Amino acid sequence: MATTTDVSNQIIQALADYLKRDAASIEPTHHLREDLGLDSMAVIEMLYRIEEVFNLQIPDQDLVGLTTVGQVIDYVQGRVAPASAKTAAKPPTKTSTKTAAKAATKKPAAKPSPKSKKA
Amino acid sequence: MSTRVVITGLGVVSPIGIGVPQFWKAALEGRSGISAIPSFDPFPLEGYRSRIAGRIVDFSPDQYLPAGQGDRVDRYAQFALVAAKEALADADFKMDREDPHRVGVIVGAGMGGMVMGEREITQLYEQKRPHRVHPNFIPVITLNSASGIVAMAYGAKGPNLTISTACSSSAHALGQAMHAIRAGTADAVIVVGADASITPLVFAGFCSLRALSTKYNDAPEKASRPFDRGRDGFVMGEGAGALILESLAHATKRKARMYAEVAGYAATSEAHHMVIPREDGEEVATTMRLALKDAGVTPAQVDYINAHATSTTVGDAVEVKAIRLVFKSRADKLAVNATKSLVGHTLGAAGSLAGVVSALTLTSGQVHPTLNLDDPDPACALAGLSKEQQTRKAKVALINAFGFGSNNAAVVLKAITS
Repeated sequence: MATTTDVSNQIIQALADYLKRDAASIEPTHHLREDLGLDSMAVIEMLYRIEEVFNLQIPDQDLVGLTTVGQVIDYVQGRVAPASAKTAAKPPTKTSTKTAAKAATKKPAAKPSPKSKKA
Repeated sequence: MSTRVVITGLGVVSPIGIGVPQFWKAALEGRSGISAIPSFDPFPLEGYRSRIAGRIVDFSPDQYLPAGQGDRVDRYAQFALVAAKEALADADFKMDREDPHRVGVIVGAGMGGMVMGEREITQLYEQKRPHRVHPNFIPVITLNSASGIVAMAYGAKGPNLTISTACSSSAHALGQAMHAIRAGTADAVIVVGADASITPLVFAGFCSLRALSTKYNDAPEKASRPFDRGRDGFVMGEGAGALILESLAHATKRKARMYAEVAGYAATSEAHHMVIPREDGEEVATTMRLALKDAGVTPAQVDYINAHATSTTVGDAVEVKAIRLVFKSRADKLAVNATKSLVGHTLGAAGSLAGVVSALTLTSGQVHPTLNLDDPDPACALAGLSKEQQTRKAKVALINAFGFGSNNAAVVLKAITS
């Protein structure tokens, strides 16, 4: 089972790779837009990577609640291990992560999604 | 005084009707063309966040075209052929009475021949047999296949161009056709906008871009809701619109019926972001101002706006912000509607459908409803938006069209006054 630290490290590393900067310079309190300079399209690209890492599909409605690094970590943690996020201590394996992701059914209440395209 | 340009014929292929009379009746009645996508076989529909679209169901080109004419082109070009045929007949435009080199074709297309394109790419990568790629693959996916086939169908040998600026493609086609006639390089131009790419890959791409509505998969007709508080992205559509543009002198000489004058046009780039508009609306406002200036009209003379209005949260709000910048207190006196509420976003066809709708609005005095405007969003409220049909003796219409690539267009139509 993935621990909070594992999820946190993987997300921060994914962000660091995307932004081409040192992972140590990214804090959970950082605002994706204001502190890290991600526009809405960049957030979508970054979440696309995170969906791949954790084998998730993030519904559009959930994007509105993902504005800081910490919120992304909490959200992914909740989706990867919804019932046992706080108590999990086993080392993460690819299989367990996938199983947990498939089992995850918790969906936050629908909110307006941050659609910003010109289209 | 530059050469004046008029619209003498219209054609439509749309999710709410093939043919202008069917389309316009459905538009005024406020019928939705949005429905559930039954399948992307063999791809699981659950993998698509959005599962609805403005589809043209049971389209058969042979029902509308001479046998074989549409056989060797993709679906979007078949739509283009059908719309062009109707527009030419509507204009009573006979090529045998024209100098063929004075008749151009300008097509706006955003995606092009993706039906065959996706099929051939898939087969190549799955079967790894390069010698089995279809010989017609390149001619079909080349983005000017529609402008080519329309010219061939009618022997139009004048300027033959394709404009691809995503969602604003055919608004630019209208504007560039006006320029060609003003410049004296053509007497008439067959203008078409067409797209048909509700295909597994393109649709998945728009899903991944998170540009599409995903909240209304179980109520498709509710999904395209420009300016409403509940909007959550656009609904992809498909179709084609066609307009015959002629110089006023040419149309007068052949005693053609005229719908409207294409009086002004502006093309700008926000030079800002591939898919995100500038949120202050300044660039959109500038585009509208330039088009009005080109038409020689002031904001106070405009009566009606066919809004770009795709039903995205930010896009609709930016457009209204820009309308308020240009029109100030007059903004709430304008009749405004969103054609995409009826048919979804037909991408490259959208500007041409807006052109057809605006021409019909000027001639009929009828403004089609904006569907699903149940709870108008205060961030983009305009008094002249309504989910009911409106009557407005409009003399000047403005068409907005914005596209990915930071692209803006605006076109001004004027009513024909005797």
